[in-house]
Amino acid sequence: MKMRRTKPRFPALVLATFAAATMISGISFAKDDARDATLRAAELKRFEANVNADAKVLGELLDDGLEYVHSNGELDSKQSFIDSLTSGRRDYAKSEASIETIRFFGDTAIIRGKARVTVIDQGTPRELHIGYTDVWVLKDKQWRMTAWRSARLPDSPVK
Amino acid sequence: MRNSARLVALLALCCAPSLLFAADRDEASARAAVLARFDAALHADTARLDRLLADDLDYCNFQGECSTKADYIGEVKSGALKYKSIEGQVDEVKLFADSAAVRGRVSATATRGGVERSIRATYLAVLAWRDGRWQLTNWHTTLLDLKQTP
Repeated sequence: MKMRRTKPRFPALVLATFAAATMISGISFAKDDARDATLRAAELKRFEANVNADAKVLGELLDDGLEYVHSNGELDSKQSFIDSLTSGRRDYAKSEASIETIRFFGDTAIIRGKARVTVIDQGTPRELHIGYTDVWVLKDKQWRMTAWRSARLPDSPVK
Repeated sequence: MRNSARLVALLALCCAPSLLFAADRDEASARAAVLARFDAALHADTARLDRLLADDLDYCNFQGECSTKADYIGEVKSGALKYKSIEGQVDEVKLFADSAAVRGRVSATATRGGVERSIRATYLAVLAWRDGRWQLTNWHTTLLDLKQTP
């Protein structure tokens, strides 16, 4: 006596495929959320480290190949940027960032946002409102910022 | 044997177009993609811009205002944004797995909303490698002539 199992197999296969696809997409979404949260936290930590002139944290969060272009067009490397903070030549008194978008491209991510930054310029606090884009790269399982670019917004007190 | 020959012929037929138009994912092609975009913008070549710009483009101008691909091409097409001259150069290309970050400088004169303005700026262009070519997915300009530090 032969058992014909052809028909029941099809719905089972469809169900299994659907379940697997749901699981995979679920895992993928969870992974994306985790990546997003990790990068968001790293970005905010970096802004805080700028204010605290925290060379250790910046050393971990900035890529060795960093190109940091300030809103006045000045270009810093990782080392020259950290040095400018620890020496007090560049002094961020306050930094409030709002992240608008994070987009991932494999091992890189682009963050776009706005920030209100108070800098001490020759003893005088001055406020800048900037729009920024930065690029992060995943190296050795850690995100590091490799490029920073900002522009002064029309409502910036310092034009 | 005949089947093998057919398979080879089929593969050749399928791959020929991609081989013809394929670019290498390298520094030179990234540089070329950025310079081609300048040229397309200068000549208001919206068909070329459509190929060079990614659908998810974030185009941020020197005032920090960001627009989409459709907005940017729309402005160029309607003449609301008209370039008189663009002189761009690439200073540095960083290649990653699926993207490239390009730093450079640009001097441009353009009319936007009837107002002509000349700028000298530094830019960051992020290119995404899709369908065997580079597409601009993020653009951010910073003016170079600001007198006020910091």
